[in-house]
Amino acid sequence: MVNIVGVQIRNTRGSNSLSFGKQEETKRSECENKDILMYDEKRKHPITTNLKIQADKFVKAFTEYPQKGLKGSKNSNFYEFLTMGMVPYLTGSAMMIAVFNLASKFFDTPAAVNASKLGKKMGLGVLFYGIGKTLSKKMIEAPVNLKYGIDVNLPYKKAIHELPDGDNTDNLLTHEYHKAYESVDFPRWDLFYNNKSFGPDRNSYYEKVGKRMGINDEDLDHADQKVKPLIKEKVIKTKLFSTLSSYFWAATGVGVAMQKPWENFVVNPAKRIANYQNYKKIAEAAKQEGKNIAKYDNFAKDFGKRFINSCKEFVNNKNKSVKIAGRSLLGLAVGMTLLGNLSTLLDFNKSRGSDSQASSSLIDESKEKVVC
Amino acid sequence: MTNVLNSILANQPINKSVNQNANSAFVFTSEGKIKPMRDKGRLLPSRVFGSPIEYAKDLKKDIVSIGKAAKGKANDHELGRINDLAMKMGSLALASYLFVKNPLKLSKAMEFVGFGTFFASMSLWPKLAIQAPLKARTGVDIHQKYIDSQGRKKMLFQDPQYVLTDLYSREDLDKIGDKLGVNKNIPDRDNFIKQRAQKTALQGNTLWMMTAGFASPLMSALLCNRLEKPIGKAIEKFEMVSSERAMQNGNYRSLSDRFKEFVSLRRFDNYLVKNADKVMDDKAVSELASKLGGKANSALVQTAIKDELAALKTDVKIDELFIRNALKGKIDDSVFASLSEQQKSLLNKAINNKSFANIAEILSRAAGGSKKEQIKLSRELSQILGKAKMSAETPTLSQISNQIKALHANMLDFASGKRILDRYINARVGDQAGTYIANQWGRVGDKLIKALKFNGQELKAVSKGDIDIIIDKLTVLASNDAEYDKVIKQLMKLIGNYENTTDTNFVLNVQNKAKSVCTVASNDLKTNGFVKLAEKISSATKNGTVENVININTAERISGAQSSFYRLLQSLDVFRKANNGSLERQLASLLGEKGVTADQETLKRLVKACQDLVLNATTTDYVEKLKTAGFNLSEIEYKTVMKALFDSEADTTIAESLSRTIGADKVDDVMKGFNSYRKEFMNKVANWQNGMTTELSRRTVDGVTNAANAVERNNLAGKPIRTLIEDVAKQTYNSQKWLKIFGGAMVALTAVTLLAGLAIGRKGKTEKQVEKESKVNG
Repeated sequence: MVNIVGVQIRNTRGSNSLSFGKQEETKRSECENKDILMYDEKRKHPITTNLKIQADKFVKAFTEYPQKGLKGSKNSNFYEFLTMGMVPYLTGSAMMIAVFNLASKFFDTPAAVNASKLGKKMGLGVLFYGIGKTLSKKMIEAPVNLKYGIDVNLPYKKAIHELPDGDNTDNLLTHEYHKAYESVDFPRWDLFYNNKSFGPDRNSYYEKVGKRMGINDEDLDHADQKVKPLIKEKVIKTKLFSTLSSYFWAATGVGVAMQKPWENFVVNPAKRIANYQNYKKIAEAAKQEGKNIAKYDNFAKDFGKRFINSCKEFVNNKNKSVKIAGRSLLGLAVGMTLLGNLSTLLDFNKSRGSDSQASSSLIDESKEKVVC
Repeated sequence: MTNVLNSILANQPINKSVNQNANSAFVFTSEGKIKPMRDKGRLLPSRVFGSPIEYAKDLKKDIVSIGKAAKGKANDHELGRINDLAMKMGSLALASYLFVKNPLKLSKAMEFVGFGTFFASMSLWPKLAIQAPLKARTGVDIHQKYIDSQGRKKMLFQDPQYVLTDLYSREDLDKIGDKLGVNKNIPDRDNFIKQRAQKTALQGNTLWMMTAGFASPLMSALLCNRLEKPIGKAIEKFEMVSSERAMQNGNYRSLSDRFKEFVSLRRFDNYLVKNADKVMDDKAVSELASKLGGKANSALVQTAIKDELAALKTDVKIDELFIRNALKGKIDDSVFASLSEQQKSLLNKAINNKSFANIAEILSRAAGGSKKEQIKLSRELSQILGKAKMSAETPTLSQISNQIKALHANMLDFASGKRILDRYINARVGDQAGTYIANQWGRVGDKLIKALKFNGQELKAVSKGDIDIIIDKLTVLASNDAEYDKVIKQLMKLIGNYENTTDTNFVLNVQNKAKSVCTVASNDLKTNGFVKLAEKISSATKNGTVENVININTAERISGAQSSFYRLLQSLDVFRKANNGSLERQLASLLGEKGVTADQETLKRLVKACQDLVLNATTTDYVEKLKTAGFNLSEIEYKTVMKALFDSEADTTIAESLSRTIGADKVDDVMKGFNSYRKEFMNKVANWQNGMTTELSRRTVDGVTNAANAVERNNLAGKPIRTLIEDVAKQTYNSQKWLKIFGGAMVALTAVTLLAGLAIGRKGKTEKQVEKESKVNG
């Protein structure tokens, strides 16, 4: 049995377990009843694993969890509440786009054109906000993972043994996707012990991280005790700077979306097709006259060109004040990311030898202590 | 447990003698033992808006948390709060960027309003739509906050699996229990109430998650929509007052102005240092001219600056050495050595006279060759010498840096004074959205649209250019004396306010300030030798100077708006008279004076022409005597129409009508302005005394050539009432449509949320069963 600290295990299917209601004929595997670190899965299939987790969360956030929450189920928990946070994030984004775009089709031509210009910018603003926020976090998290092997987003599949609720007394085992380091107060250290993905020893993971942190081999006798506080420190710093930088990058994203090149960007597929057909006619006519006209930009190329021009306008606006403001915002975002990289990757406190935090704690090893 | 304990102990301060720490869950006894600290958690009172002091304290804590986290020492709670703070910081940074990017003051302000309303909506929606109704009905505050022993503020019902319901006092629990209708005799009532409260909170929080995404953007957008007008008005007032104060303070410069000047001076000094060796050719002169004087550097001024810069030359000594150096490669030293005494004397004389042609001729003769070759060489040498002189005369930037610095300082002073004046003028009659004049015109439009009582479909039709509806509505308004008088009264109030704001005092203020700012700048520039530039800013003749342009532009803006107001007044009067038949009678009488007896059909046609004219006509239509507007009027008919509308002697009924609404005592003042406008219009725009085909500007009125230019004529014509109504109708229709869609969505969402809230907190099967059993058991 894997030593899982802090997790109460109740096998609902095993012969020695306490079960509620009818027993299933087939036994579920032991794996389904315990929490599993998804290290190998993520390493082998990083994109699909992430997509799988997000899809699971997405579906449940819009279906199962609200249903349970609105019923007041005793099995609803904080994870479900947090996962449901996806709902206002996505519906809010859609609503924001709608507020600036939906009514414009009822306006007369000049007003509709103006509204559409703003609407496109706002719609793209929402998109770039999300992209900026997500990608910027990776700029701090990825180097930490590369250098130390600490993946702050490392997922684990948590087995949840629910209480019987109403008529449901059989299907009580469910899963949640958590991150091993989602809590800095209580990281799931236990999942790294005896984990064969990291090596044959109990402390393989901690030894590996310790070595990457530059701790001498002779100081790694109790690697977990030595390394855990250091990992925690890195995780906190990573979380801090990825959070701080992400909102400045998100703001920068919106800033880029507010530039002029987007104003006449055609998003409507029907209009794009019509434009392309017009282009083909013009190109044909030009060809017959022996003239060459510029190539038609497909959606991706058009988007890319406008994005580059918008970025240029953002940092190099003709108006000096706007240029300074744009560069300042970008500077804040870049600066925060660099500060995050420096803070997480450089070791300003080099005392990684025997004088670790564990040995310098408040507890005087020589004295007896009693917990009252 | 080991982990938990270690984690807590690891955060203890090193000082072992400390017995108790406010941030720790444990305390050390004097014997070195540890024991749990006394529980200090408590519920916090619920408020819709927190106190600013609390916000400040929380902010301070969050900033401390960032410091701790940067050292790798924060906890989950602190990191969570940092996330909220970071979100606000990012949004504030974005609002600041958009503030700078937007050119208009209202748009700038709305960026921060948007920021504020979005966060306010996120916070207010659950409080108003879910929390408050649920608390009123069930007694459960789903967003009840508590502070734990470590001083961390948290939501009591955030984690349904970990609710500290023990923090509720017995009285609180009883209150909740009573509101929830829990049987008083039920065994273990407290626990039962806690479970019900927990369930209610879970349901409420889920409803919050399901609705917040729709509600926050909607609420924020609707709030912004409602706040835009009052904020616009506040900005307008602020600009009026502060620009006036700046004018009164003389040479007052705001902190930002001083900073801008400081930066400008530093930047300019750097430019001078970096480009010290730059030769001041045409390109360099243009570049430098664009850098002088900031916003006071208009096209008019910049040309004068260029001329001044181009005139800055260094003295060149024309002597034999200069000639020898210039002609190196063309004329050897041996040629100079071979010059006879007489030739030398002639050369020296030519050098003294700076006559390059003579020098070239003497040297080319000395160089020898055929006559033809000598002429060719002479021409070439003369050109080389001319170029060499010009090149030697053209200074480098460092050679004229003192003059340039003085010029720059003068122009900055000028810009500073002009900025105050520009702001004063712009706040009142500026040609952009958000100024007093623009807002006042908007208010006139709003009043008119309201008075015309368009429904949604009519607004849509009008916004798409349906003029018949406008005519119908104006006719209806004119037929109702009470409504008509009400509109006139409102319009006259707005016109009166406008006239008070742009009266003689305003014009005099502008003239005086323009005079003082321009004269000071002009004198300073003259002192430093920049006479041409000084004359362009202010001169005795005034024509074409910056001072003159300021005064003319201001006068034109005032007159343009005034004409539009009078045109509106006249338009309403034409419809009133058309409706009560007085216009028809007036036209018949005017035609009668010319010996023409008009039939009913002709009179109706002329009445229609009057209505269309006030609604639509532009100056072009008057040039062509309404032919372009689709009217085929004879010369007599045209003149009659003009007289009926613009001859104050021919029309006196408007004064009677106005005295009824605004009072006889005020009529004289209004009529004075109105008649003066009509007289100007007759003389400069109406084109009524000339033949039917002649170009207006070439004709004379009363023996005086019509000197009015296109701008003056357009200003006198004012804005057509149709354009005003259509513009406001478009705005109103779009705004109403938007409000209908999203206001409707907000109402529907609120209704659904409130209805869904009614289903929350009800007894479930299990609760009913428990209560039933308790009743059975007695």
